[in-house]
Order: sequence, then C-alpha cells, then structure tokens
Amino acid sequence: MKFREVRLQTFRNHEATEIGCALGRNVFFGNNGEGKTNILEAISYLCLTKSFYASSDATAVQFGQSGFTVSAIAVSDIDVSYKIDVSYSRDAKEKKIAVNNGVIEDKSSIIGMFPVVVLSPENANVTSGTPADRRRFIDVVISQSNKSYLQDLIEYRRILRQRNRVLFESKAGQRTSQDLLEPWNENLIKRGSQISQRRAQFVQEFSPYLVDAYIRIAGRGEEPSIGYDSSIKTDNSLTIEQAQTFFRRELEQQRVEEQKLGTTLVGPHKDELVFEINGLSLKTFASQGQHKTFLVALKVAEFFYLREQCQETPVLLLDDVFSELDGPRSEKLLALTANLGQTFITATDEQRFSTASKQRNDFARYFVRKGKVTFAKAEVLTN
Amino acid sequence: MFYTAESIEHLAEQFAQLPGIGRKTAHRLALYVLKLSRDEVVAFAKALVDVKDKVRYCSICSNITETDPCGICSNPKREQTSICVVEEPNDVLAIEKTHEFKGLYHVLGGALSPLDGVGPEDLRVKELLQRMSDSVEEVILAMNPNVEGEATTLYLSKLLKPLTVKVTRIARGLPVGSDLEFADEATLSRALEGRITL
Ligand SMILES: Nc1ncnc2c1ncn2[C@@H]1O[C@H](COP(=O)(O)OP(=O)(O)OP(=O)(O)O)[C@@H](O)[C@H]1O
Ligand SMILES: [Mg+2]
Ligand SMILES: [Zn+2]
Repeated sequence: MKFREVRLQTFRNHEATEIGCALGRNVFFGNNGEGKTNILEAISYLCLTKSFYASSDATAVQFGQSGFTVSAIAVSDIDVSYKIDVSYSRDAKEKKIAVNNGVIEDKSSIIGMFPVVVLSPENANVTSGTPADRRRFIDVVISQSNKSYLQDLIEYRRILRQRNRVLFESKAGQRTSQDLLEPWNENLIKRGSQISQRRAQFVQEFSPYLVDAYIRIAGRGEEPSIGYDSSIKTDNSLTIEQAQTFFRRELEQQRVEEQKLGTTLVGPHKDELVFEINGLSLKTFASQGQHKTFLVALKVAEFFYLREQCQETPVLLLDDVFSELDGPRSEKLLALTANLGQTFITATDEQRFSTASKQRNDFARYFVRKGKVTFAKAEVLTN
Repeated sequence: MFYTAESIEHLAEQFAQLPGIGRKTAHRLALYVLKLSRDEVVAFAKALVDVKDKVRYCSICSNITETDPCGICSNPKREQTSICVVEEPNDVLAIEKTHEFKGLYHVLGGALSPLDGVGPEDLRVKELLQRMSDSVEEVILAMNPNVEGEATTLYLSKLLKPLTVKVTRIARGLPVGSDLEFADEATLSRALEGRITL
C-alpha cells in the first residue's frame, strides 16, 4: 500500500501540515528538533493506531490544543483507496479511527490493513535490550499479520494482571487464593498457549526471511539465526492441546513459588527470543557493527514477511538511521529501499545523505522547519 | 474560565462526574440548566432524588425495581425452573428485549475483578446459591464476553456443579470486547438459543 497524502493537524509541533507523498522514497531533511520524527510518528498512528515508540496519545497533542487529527488517503496494492482519519480528543480522552468515514469500533481490527515497518534509534533495544524488547518486536510483527493474535495478546495481558493481583494479595496475606486463582487459570492457559504456539510458528516462518535479508546487507559469510525459548517449553511441533497440557503442568509446578513471590511465573510473558550469528549469541558476543547489521536485517526481513503474510506491501519508516548506521551499511540500506515500496526517511545531514544515496535523485525531498514542511524536489523516476 | 460563578462551576463538576461527560460538555450542560425555568429545574432535581428514594433492589433477584419483589419475580407466568445470571440490571433489559427467555433472573452486581477490588463477596453469589431449590432446573450464565465475565462464569460453574442443576452459558457469539448491553437483539437471541452446557 501507499499513502497519497498525509495531513497532520495540531499534532506535536505541526500546526497544519500537508504532505503530498511520492509513491517511492520521501526524505525529510531538517535540523534537530524541527519535527521530522513527528511526521513518521503520525504515519505510525495511521497504521498501528498509536505512536511507534512508547508515548501516550495525550503527549502528541500540540501544546495548548485540545486534540489532534492525522488523516491520509491510502491506496492498496490492488488499487483500492481508503480515507483514514485518526483523531484524539484530550478533553474526552477518546481516540477515534475512521476508515472511509465509518468509525471503527474495535480499533485493533485495522491493524494489519496498512502494514508498516519502522526502523528508528529506539529499535537498537531489539538486539541489545531486554527480552521484553524482543517480545515487543515479534508482537508488533505477528499482530499485523494475524488478527486473532492481537486479540489473544490483549486478553492475555488483562488476565495476567488480574491473576497477578490475586497472587499479590495472597502473598500479602489478605486472602487465601487457590479458589480465587482458579477462574483465571483456564483462560491464562488457553490464550497463553495460543500466543506461544503462534510465536513458535512465526520464528520458523521468519527464519528464511532473516537469512535472506542478512545476505542482502552483509553478503555471505555470516549465518544469522533466530530461536524461540518458551517458558512453557512448547515448540512448533506440538498441537495446541499438548501446549496447553505443558502450560498447565508448568503452572502446577510453580504453584508454591508463585504464591511465595506473588506473581505469575509461567507463560508467554516470560518468553525469550534468541538471536545468534554463526551459532554465537548476539547478546553476548556480537560487535556493535554486527548488532546494527542484525537489526537492519530483522527489519528488512519484517518487510518481506509482512508483504507475503498480509498480501499488502508495507510502508517503511526510517527514522534517523543514517546517523546510526555507518557508511557502507547506510548505502546498502538506501540502495535496498529503491525496491521496497513507499519509504519515509528522516535525515539531518543532507550532505551525508547524498553521499550515502550515491547522489541518486529519485527521492522526493522535503525540508522541515519549526513544524512546517516545504516540498523541495520531486522524485525523478530514473529506474 | 474567567467569567463564571461558583455555583455554575459546582454544577459543572457534578455533571463531569457522569460517565462519558467531559469538562466542556459539563459546562455546556450547566449553562443550559441556567436557561431553564425554575419549575423545570425543580422537576429535574426531583427526578434525580426520586430515582434514589423510590428505586430499590429486588430482594430476590437484585434487579432494580419500585416494587419488591420485582415484576419478573412476582409474575407467576415466568418459568420458575430457570435462572439467568447477569452482571448488571442493563443486561436484564437487553435479554428481555429479545423475548427469547421466559425464566427468572439473578443480577450479580458486576464481575470478578481483583484489579478493581471486586471479589466473590462483593457480588451477590451467596444469594444466588440460596436460590438453588428443587424447583430450579437450569442456571444460564450470561456474563459479558470479556476476561472478567469469563472468569466469573468459571467461578460460578465450579460452585454450582456439585448441585443437581444444569449449568449452561450463552454461546460466545458476541463481538469480542463488547458488553452484553450493546449486543444487538438478533445476536443475543442467537446466543441464547445456542447455549452450551458446562
Ligand atoms: N505536544 C507537542 N506540542 C508541540 N511541540 C511538540 C510537542 N511534542 C514535541 N514537540 C516538539 O517537537 C520537536 C521535536 O520534533 P521531532 O522529534 O520530530 O524532531 P526531529 O526533527 O526528528 O529532530 P531530531 O533530528 O533531533 O531527531 C521538539 O521541538 C519538541 O519541542
Ligand atoms: Mg528525530
Ligand atoms: Zn426480582
């Protein structure tokens, strides 16, 4: 899919911004703090109904205003047009999403309709941060490609919080808990097994995409791999019933420990995604450069995976990557974007960008200054 | 607000406490009240107080009513053999609209939610068990289709299982995350027809 036009109203430092959007690569230049990332964040609202980094809706409202609106015309791969409006009112604390002027009641249902892949400085956590950072990565990918996954995830998190409260209170000696725990166990197991199974399946499906993407960026020589370490010891070869049995058994075994610690110790919220290069743990052994290559490969793989699964080409948002990546890697990535559908790129240093892009001019260029965007140069379709 | 009187502010604050009313709307409503005649305002205030004074909970099913027992519990034409358990009085209304169910109700007053400090003793669970006499043959659990409703269903079915009563739940054909109250009548009738034995 591609965006034809994107409008931001009282969104962060953009009072009223309108972007025509080239169908290929769009590059936003500007100094620090002028409002480039804010544009990508707005696009993320259109695709994921929220900011791509942990940030509340209220903070995106322009200072002194009561709400924001982000709108766009999107055109799908088979040429169907959609009008999307996301608006948030701080007064009513309410976010509304409309597609073709019809309000979407269940907001999560549009996720995956307009798939997106984001590479931003915050993503460095995916390879170097905590297990939670890696779980967030796969959750966003799977949610976009599988409708019921997101629903399971939302319910699972709610059940988990409820169950943890029961355990916490029982630890504090306020109530005895087995009877109170039991009503939550059944659906913790059901939803949890579903999530773990889906993740295990994802890891298997995703592997060849990762290997392929890694070769595109770093050439041959290093072999990346992705593995799934599930706390209920499930893997892709099990049936859902078997996974549930495993989950139930683990839960039973941790019963005393859970009471003691006052929290749920088993389930997909404890899962870990394991990245390796040539069989060595990325987290423990990889150099900074390898981390960066791996991350870019993950994102490129995500792009092709989603394109296949959603039967829709994702838009690609690259925030500030050219100050994060070194020369050769950024050149590779830029060269790749020529064939990756519609891309939105931010950069501070036009000179550096031009070097990395090898002076090619098939980019639509915009300048961003104090929340205002001026169109500088049209995309020249040379290839 | 620069130009306002204290009592307007006070009224607006009261409106703002109502669900779905933001500060702006609360102010508009307060200013609207100012435009009404005194009689109209008195009638409005009386209606508010009457709701509180006259409406009570049925001593049998806990539904809201002005007579005790309520119209449903005291109606001999209702089947005394089945009890439909719901979370809130609104749910009784929603199910009554389908004309599909001829039995009695039991309003729990919510669903289990440890995060909100709601445990079994905060719901009318004991009262439900006390109603389980020989004449009751079927208990239909019709909680909202969300995680709290599900947990409540499991909790109640475990309590009811040892008793000689058939326990069913309405099929989960309702849109996920929605409340029973908002389900349209067709979906609800279908759900009532396709109930599952627990
Ligand atoms: N709610 C808001 N209302 C108004 N302005 C805001 C709001 N939130 C952030 N800003 C402003 O937006 C600017 C940051 O924008 P953005 O993150 O897009 O910058 P950038 O161009 O990407 O900069 P960099 O090159 O440093 O990444 C800051 O000046 C900040 O003060
Ligand atoms: Mg930025
Ligand atoms: Zn009654």
